[in-house]
Amino acid sequence: MKKHIIRLFSLLALFLGAAGCQKDFLEVQPQGEINAENYFQTADHATWAVNAVYNQLRAWDVIAFPYLAMTDIVSDDATKGSFPADAQRIATFDNFTYGPSFPEEVRVAWRGYYRGIFRANSAIEGIPKAQMNEMLRSRLIGEAKFLRAHYYFNLVRWFGDIPLIDKQLTEAEFYTKPRAPKAEVYNLIIQDLKDAIEVLPEKNQYPTADMGRATKGAARGVLAKVYLTIGDFVNAEQYALQVINSNQYALLPQYNRIFLPEGENSSESVFEIQATALEDSYNGATAWNMIQGVRGTPNLGWGFNLPSDDLIAAYEPGDPRRDATILYVGEVLPDGSGIVQDNPDILNERYSQKAWTPNHPGLQDNGPSNIRILRYADVLLIAAEALNENDKPAQALTYINLVRARARGTRPPSVVPALTTTDKVQLRQAIWRERRVELAMEQQRWFELVRTGQAATRLTPLGFVAGKHELFPIPQSEIDLTGGIITQNPNY
Amino acid sequence: MIGKQLLISAALMLWSVWAVAQVTVTGKVTDDKGEALIGANILVKNSTNGTITDIDGSYELKVPDAFVTLVVSYTGYTTQEFPLKGQAKLDVVLLEQATLISEVVVVGYGTQRKSDLTGSVTSVKADEIQKIATANPLQALQGKVAGVQVSAASGRPGEGPVVRIRGTGTLNGAAPIYVVDGLILNNIDFLNAADIESMEILKDASAAAIYGTRGANGVILISTRKGSRSQKARVSFGSYVGQQQPERRLGLANATEYAQLINEIALNNGSQPVHPDPTVFGVGTDWQDVIFQNGIIQNYNLNVSGGSEAMTYSISGDVFRQEGIVKSSYFNRYTLRVNNQYNFFKWMKFGHNIAFVMSDNNGEPGGIVFNAIASDPTVIPRDENGRFGSTSLVSNVSNPAAQLEYNSYNRGYGQQFAGNLYGDIFILKDLTFRSSFGFNLVNNRNKSYEPVFEVDNKQRNPESRIFAGFYRGVDWQWENTLNYRKEWKNHRIELLAGYTSQNITGEGIGGGRLRLIGTTENFFFLNAGDDQTATNYHYANRPERYVSTLFRLNYSLMGKYLLTASWRRDGSSRFGSERRFGSFPSVALAWRVIEEPFMQDQKILTNLKLRASWGRLGNDKIPTGAATPIVSNGLGAVFGTPEQLLFGAGITTLANPFLQWELSNSTNAGIEIGAIQNRLTLELDYYRRYTEKILVPVPIPDYVGSAGNPYVNAADVLNSGLDAALNWRGNVGKLGYRVGVLGSTLKNEVKSLGTGNEELFGVFISGEPATRTEIGGPIGAFYGYRVAGLYQNAEDIAKYPNREPVKPGDLRFEDVDGDGIITPDDRTYLGSAIPNLVYGFNFGFDIAGFDFSADFNGVSGNKILNSKKMARGFGIPNFESSFLARWTGEGTSNSEPRVTNGGYPNFNVSDRFLEDGSFMRLRSVQLGYTLPKALLSKAGITNLRIYVSGNNVMLWTNYSGYSPEIGSENVLAVGIDGGIYPTARTFLVGLNAGF
Repeated sequence: MKKHIIRLFSLLALFLGAAGCQKDFLEVQPQGEINAENYFQTADHATWAVNAVYNQLRAWDVIAFPYLAMTDIVSDDATKGSFPADAQRIATFDNFTYGPSFPEEVRVAWRGYYRGIFRANSAIEGIPKAQMNEMLRSRLIGEAKFLRAHYYFNLVRWFGDIPLIDKQLTEAEFYTKPRAPKAEVYNLIIQDLKDAIEVLPEKNQYPTADMGRATKGAARGVLAKVYLTIGDFVNAEQYALQVINSNQYALLPQYNRIFLPEGENSSESVFEIQATALEDSYNGATAWNMIQGVRGTPNLGWGFNLPSDDLIAAYEPGDPRRDATILYVGEVLPDGSGIVQDNPDILNERYSQKAWTPNHPGLQDNGPSNIRILRYADVLLIAAEALNENDKPAQALTYINLVRARARGTRPPSVVPALTTTDKVQLRQAIWRERRVELAMEQQRWFELVRTGQAATRLTPLGFVAGKHELFPIPQSEIDLTGGIITQNPNY
Repeated sequence: MIGKQLLISAALMLWSVWAVAQVTVTGKVTDDKGEALIGANILVKNSTNGTITDIDGSYELKVPDAFVTLVVSYTGYTTQEFPLKGQAKLDVVLLEQATLISEVVVVGYGTQRKSDLTGSVTSVKADEIQKIATANPLQALQGKVAGVQVSAASGRPGEGPVVRIRGTGTLNGAAPIYVVDGLILNNIDFLNAADIESMEILKDASAAAIYGTRGANGVILISTRKGSRSQKARVSFGSYVGQQQPERRLGLANATEYAQLINEIALNNGSQPVHPDPTVFGVGTDWQDVIFQNGIIQNYNLNVSGGSEAMTYSISGDVFRQEGIVKSSYFNRYTLRVNNQYNFFKWMKFGHNIAFVMSDNNGEPGGIVFNAIASDPTVIPRDENGRFGSTSLVSNVSNPAAQLEYNSYNRGYGQQFAGNLYGDIFILKDLTFRSSFGFNLVNNRNKSYEPVFEVDNKQRNPESRIFAGFYRGVDWQWENTLNYRKEWKNHRIELLAGYTSQNITGEGIGGGRLRLIGTTENFFFLNAGDDQTATNYHYANRPERYVSTLFRLNYSLMGKYLLTASWRRDGSSRFGSERRFGSFPSVALAWRVIEEPFMQDQKILTNLKLRASWGRLGNDKIPTGAATPIVSNGLGAVFGTPEQLLFGAGITTLANPFLQWELSNSTNAGIEIGAIQNRLTLELDYYRRYTEKILVPVPIPDYVGSAGNPYVNAADVLNSGLDAALNWRGNVGKLGYRVGVLGSTLKNEVKSLGTGNEELFGVFISGEPATRTEIGGPIGAFYGYRVAGLYQNAEDIAKYPNREPVKPGDLRFEDVDGDGIITPDDRTYLGSAIPNLVYGFNFGFDIAGFDFSADFNGVSGNKILNSKKMARGFGIPNFESSFLARWTGEGTSNSEPRVTNGGYPNFNVSDRFLEDGSFMRLRSVQLGYTLPKALLSKAGITNLRIYVSGNNVMLWTNYSGYSPEIGSENVLAVGIDGGIYPTARTFLVGLNAGF
């Protein structure tokens, strides 16, 4: 009996002993991963988090089909491209038949840009907690704010009133954010850019290893464009001139070099989305080249977003920018590596030369081109337009003629001649047209048409309905998920 | 014979030395066929001293002296008395009283007589499980258990089905847990049907609550085959060989029809027809011919089992090989299982149940089933020069023949070592301590290779590539239980207390390279690729850990009033530190009315029992780490001159640190009736399972910016229904026959969706939710437009306006909200994927050595969204024949719209694509012949049965797809057919032999 009792008690001890250490046993850490609760402790964390905001700039949602469809294809500069049956749904952007739920591109863009904002918010909220150098801290927050402004600027131009998210939402707020008036969104954009201007270095103050990060000049330039968009020409002029007078930028002598690899981060570059084709992974690339690449022979891509007849007609006779922008069938590729062959399945076959890229590691989807967001020429034209609106035509002419002179290059003065008119209306028209041809196929045209009120006159023949198509439809899923707190844009 | 006597006398001597005051009697109780009777009652006459037989039919009883009389009884069998006459060993053969054997069933952490059960437990025995030829024994439960719905997720070889016990009680992981010889597992893909002794399905809280937080979706206990004491070595061999073929083929547009439809699409878009004369294409290619094959399925199983006083053993080897019905897919498995128990010491016994499994499989090329439906029929698979036709130009899907050629090297190899080691220590007469250590070691390896090829611009691969990956899983589980049994006068009590812990870990490593230096299998290794192109990964899962304490009381008063109460406290590492523990109680009562004096005079009923139970269970099937957001890395940004990719990492997804258990409150009331010597049995259960605080990744608006949806404790769901099983066994002369019917009704209703939520959306198809879960409706109900007809002409369009432009021939949706215009507000409830009735019935007979059985099963009242017909996307994929009945002008159709290639309104989620999912199937039919024993004994064969059988022989359904079984583990996306790997019809011949 004694033996039994000993056995029993030793077992009970084992039993209870095992039960005693259960708390520690259940305490497990993620393996090889950082827990969000432990993030934002070091300068590395802060840098990584801001890099992640840049990372989203290259996401499919942000720069691929949705972006091209909602900027160039929907405008009068380009058509869907490829052969008719291929991604037929994109044709809805050519003829204005897209709706709140179809095709998915509208929702994908909305989603992609808000995800960029999410990452920016996370960085802006988290970086103040890190133990780090104060200079670097404020610069990184400035970069995140610049990027947040960039994401919001496209969203507000596409959709008008939108939910204004400037911090990570809590569960209670997920379904209850109404659309904020456009003006409030612009206020945030302007404030973010002003904050960024305060803390960001100029382009030449960054080490070369940081080339491509947001700069003071970039923030000023984008802010100038924001003011231009909302019709605040005084501020647009001021910030555009600040960029010009910073002596950080200059036009590249040859227009047709801007979009070659050598044109990346050139003196003309104010802000571009950085991309590169790595050998061992596609993690540095975008789909932007592939979507617009020559389809057929040579086999460079999918052949979407083809320059329209209307765009071709917009160039002045002899304007060399036309050939630099459009890659025709039969044309020799810029690096001489081949000739574009006719592909009978593609209507109006011609491609965007600005999306052409020479041979690179990996396949087409390892697209290496930096995507130009703001060029110095754009800033000069913003300055010109604002100055003209502010009744300073002479100064305006100076800047627009800089752009035209560069386009002309070494050709005779009759080619893309200098402008002389000081008539406000005529000059305005001239600047608008200059913007179109200078920035063609750079995903600017739709915003220009809406901003300047030309959309209805230019696009109605294609199916545009005034009072409706100035804004894209709010994705139906947002309306469904919020039970109607998010409302639809008019007439959708 | 002499050896045996020696052994017995030796044992006798040994034991008489050990136990002075007592004699221990051992033996085995069997029926007249030699089958072990589990749970038979052995009682010393005129005392309360007794025991019951274990799972082998063996017993062990201490008696005051070797000259008492034992009373052996077993429900359904004639009670007999056996004087011991000085023997210490007594094997007993009981004769069957009625035709139905009263069972003993395995319950959590023990066994129980079925008559003592207070909860709802259904037992399925080996012969039923082996009726279906399958890699996964769960398939065999289809239509066998009231309240259990088993549906194939696909017909892919080796793939397990989706199992739901009493409905879908959560919006989250709704799969039951599997307990194999005590080891808790999430799947039993490694188990052989032939190695299984029985499966017990614990349906209500009284039965399952002992599994606490793991038990809310029900528990399936599996006992593997074991040897019995004092049984001569018995060799059994079983085998079948058969052929599998696709159960159905789809009707598709042929080449001419396809070309015609393309022309019409062009015309409908305002452009010119593409093909001047569609008839030039003739019939073209039916790509289904290209991908499907008849596959061979075969199984060989050899088992040796037996036992002596000192040990029991069961050793089996099994070979299972299955070719898929889609070319290039297969699954092979080789199993060795050793289940032994050692009784070396008087005060303890120990044993193990261990399986070692090796498997290899190949997966079919990705998306090939859908591609075979969607591929351009005007293209020939391969021309006379061997060049593959280009199908991507128009249909924008890959050429399936070329996929089979180039993309069919997708190998998987698995090794699994799983089982448990246990020891029982008999501390006191009535007190047993058991410690069981379970383990599950998994080593998986996969490898895929793609050569250089170019079919066309889209279907090509310019550089050969190889991927290889290894995965290692190490799980262990340690359970310690104390079991106390005591009987006195009219009382019988059993107490169980236990402490368990479990740890689940996993780690994967692998990589890929391009540009291999060779194209044959001996080069399919990473080192044959260009190291400049190397990529790799290595990760570990966050360990999942559980600790639990458990208690159970079984009490029986006079053998007719039964009580079970259990309590389990669980801790799980899946939750934040403040919400880690939960308690899960249950209580159940049963009344065996048949034992009451007032029942003794009647002759009709042989069993009548009433029972009721209540309990609370938990569910924690959410991804590990859902409570804490993880920083995603790999979010690098490019900077600098030269350009470099710099590391980036950030939070992209929201998580919820306040997650807690899902709680399921389950009530069950049942009645069991047996009549006419238990020839007729009826079991009826009403259940009500109310789950609250259901964890779900709630779709949130995109503006929140989270890349995934965070989990919240959002919802309450009620499942209720009736389970019924009715069986009759009879005979006419020498013909024995049986008929059985079972069915369960199910009502699934969402009761709450948490603060502020009135509805949850599930899968989005073309930017719109395909399912909506709303309060008052079932989980994952289909949601979309209801079709009222077609717009026949411009007047119709004027009469029924639309927010988006339409043309004559387009679908006209019902104006559900009655505002005079068709808008998204007109989308509504379209139906549910959850059937309201799941049923099965079977009959069988045997005469003169022949046996026949047929099993039917079915579901009714559910819908299927045929979403493969909605997938238009890029290109113009081929059409199913149903599109040919299209509208081509006023009055030509009022249901099938003019042909378009996607877009509003014809391809929005609407009941155009919703079909009735009800079906009935002849699940299995089998005809066997057992050769006369007299004939066999000369050849040294104990028994030999040969049979022919068919699985999925007939199917009755209105559903137009390959199979009406569209299982999905995502409860918000059940019943959506995006082009699944079809289920197979199987015909086989087999034999079972014993030596």
